[in-house]
Amino acid sequence: MLSRVADNLYWCGRYLQRAENTARLVTVNGHLLLDLPKQVQTGWQPLIEILGMEKKFASLYDDATEANVIRFLLTDERSPASILSSVRRAREIVRTVRDSMPQETWEKLNDINLLLQADGDKGLNRRYRQEFLQRVIDACLLLFGVLTSNMSRDVGFQFLRLGTNLEQADMTTRILDVRSVNLIHTRAAEELRPFENIQWMSVLRSLTAYEMYRRLVRERVQGDRVLRFLLQDREFPRSVVFCLVRMQRTLPKLPEKRSVERAITRTLALLRDADVESLMEKGLSEFLDEVQVGIAGIDDALSDAYFKAS
Amino acid sequence: MGIAWGEYKSDSYDELFEAPGQARPAGRKLAKYLAELTAQELSERRLAAELAIKVMGISFTVYSEGQNVDRSWPFDIIPRVIPKAEWQRTEKGLKQRVRALNAFIQDIYSEQKVIKDKVFPRALLADSVNYRKQCEDVKPRGGVWAHVCGSDLVRDRDGTLYVLEDNLRVPSGVSYMIENRAVIKRVFPELFETTAIRPVDDYPAQLYDTLAELSPRSGNRPNIVLLTPGIYNSAYFEHCYLAQQMGVALVEGPDLFVDDDDVCYLRTIEGPQRVDVIYRRIDDLFLDPEVFNKESVLGAKGLMRAWSKGKVALANAPGAGVADDKVVYTFVPKFIRYYLDEEPILPNVESFLCYDDKQREHVLENLDKLVVKPANESGGYGMLMGPKSSKKEREKFRELIEANPRNYMAQPVLSLSTAPTLVDGGIEPRHLDLRPFILSRENPYVTMGGLTRVALEKGSLVVNSSQGGGSKDTWIVDTDEGDE
Repeated sequence: MLSRVADNLYWCGRYLQRAENTARLVTVNGHLLLDLPKQVQTGWQPLIEILGMEKKFASLYDDATEANVIRFLLTDERSPASILSSVRRAREIVRTVRDSMPQETWEKLNDINLLLQADGDKGLNRRYRQEFLQRVIDACLLLFGVLTSNMSRDVGFQFLRLGTNLEQADMTTRILDVRSVNLIHTRAAEELRPFENIQWMSVLRSLTAYEMYRRLVRERVQGDRVLRFLLQDREFPRSVVFCLVRMQRTLPKLPEKRSVERAITRTLALLRDADVESLMEKGLSEFLDEVQVGIAGIDDALSDAYFKAS
Repeated sequence: MGIAWGEYKSDSYDELFEAPGQARPAGRKLAKYLAELTAQELSERRLAAELAIKVMGISFTVYSEGQNVDRSWPFDIIPRVIPKAEWQRTEKGLKQRVRALNAFIQDIYSEQKVIKDKVFPRALLADSVNYRKQCEDVKPRGGVWAHVCGSDLVRDRDGTLYVLEDNLRVPSGVSYMIENRAVIKRVFPELFETTAIRPVDDYPAQLYDTLAELSPRSGNRPNIVLLTPGIYNSAYFEHCYLAQQMGVALVEGPDLFVDDDDVCYLRTIEGPQRVDVIYRRIDDLFLDPEVFNKESVLGAKGLMRAWSKGKVALANAPGAGVADDKVVYTFVPKFIRYYLDEEPILPNVESFLCYDDKQREHVLENLDKLVVKPANESGGYGMLMGPKSSKKEREKFRELIEANPRNYMAQPVLSLSTAPTLVDGGIEPRHLDLRPFILSRENPYVTMGGLTRVALEKGSLVVNSSQGGGSKDTWIVDTDEGDE
């Protein structure tokens, strides 16, 4: 398989996964803000931080008002973080590798693009936002459904999968990173304790992990358990360990490259060895940074091994 | 009721009717069949064709349209019919022509006998924008430079088929020829049972064989790729289509690299993979930034090096465009006599060369009657249609011609034959041309018919899809068979 095609499929996976995650992130933040008292209101700024887009955002908007952030994340063509940009880039990619994917992929991707173009403004309006975002999420899930049920498990599919898994691992870590800073801050003040839980619940919800968590943990939502679940659980598809293990299992189907294997193994070891309880007391942010570096390392290793062959 | 053929009249030679209500022998069954369809049935077939085109994803790309680069292929459901006997003669003529063209290209890059023998003036070569010094003394296998040629044929009022031009660089359109047939089979399946229509679908296999013959390595299955400029090219659909049909990789410039050993490689996830043959669909000047356009990201550095050392084959060969020039065109009948010692089977359209003082004078005096063409444009760009031009346009061309006479030639306006075409108000005659494709190799191949392009606008003579043209399926019909 051509390096360029592999690269494109990998990024197609990443952009689609990113679009879906972003839609969830915006939904959940909206809910959270309705429940929190003014003192702990974090507003919309954290979403920009989660996506690492502080600079870009500042260059386009004066302040992080709800309207600005939502526009930036949903329909702003200038914003690389917007769902519209992710979908468009995925679409451009699919256009160049149309022959490696089922025809329906192209059609479904066009549907999402049209939806964003036609109804994107509804997302800006609180009253319609929920419904609109749900449609975006549904459309993404439909697309993943088309891919998993119709695409041969050939090499191309493996690259697509590497992309979706790496993106999910990355997103999960980012969400935890930004949200936990605020949570630790909440913990310090006795009178705000009651609101700690709903914030952890919202973290779970942004990753559609709430029900799965309840079934597995069976206790009330608690910070360290949430962390453990989202970082280390072996069965929940959006946990970081789960995503990395999936990537690891994909490798035997590709030409052997030790560097990629090593990068994944190293990051997995870091995650598995982590003592989550003590991290809650101290060093969580640094630890999550380390995981992020590990994930970036996997991305680099993949790129060197497969996408730049010369 | 159905079509009243008696009311159908064309001012030009009509491909289907010799007189009102009287179809030509090869088209009789078609005309009869269409006359039996009701208006409603006809419009249903038309819708079915449009739907088929959408579902099959047949599209072409229009440049200046921003994001929306794909457009459905404009198609007319009434086929154009050519009798087999006429086609056999045309096929012979095309093979003859391309043989002479290849001989000319080979000669011009080596001994230049054609110039020494005063058949072709040296001055014309000096000004040629498609002559490539880098190709001098290179000898591609079998002396073939233009492996794929698309020649445009037009029929004048008297019924003679003329060659209007030869496209030797990156001719396109062949995929539409094949897809048109697939659409028509869905729309009029009944007609294929009663009429002996020659199939067209083996072109990709023939192209593959032509390319495979060029491989510099013997033995193993050659590694063939199709090099495309990418999704913004107007023929991207065709590139995908041909790559898929031949089962070869569709690659872009950055997928290729040439190493110090002058071998061309493909970047794959398994590491570098040697390439034997490149069917390139990008222009010479973008092929290799080392030699040509330094800014080009469409080609690959060192490709010319690899090609001239025979490590990779390029089809068409770089520099083949030297013969794809509307001025060189006028010499083709002479080339046929000179290189092959044969009489041309297919005539050229009468042409006036502006570099010649006398001929230029004639052209400038008759700008309002002639079609003036620049030597090196394709797609119908940069032309002057004399009878339809304004005074201002003619003045502009007068200046252009005087500033650069070598770059212009002129031809009388041909009336171009017509064929019945389904338009909003019913069925009317529309002008058309024909582009067959010729594959040059030891045993040359010509497509069965070719791509018929039709000017959908009433009275228009411009058939290019980029300028409002559409197409028709082209039938080579065997009248000896069956019950006629």
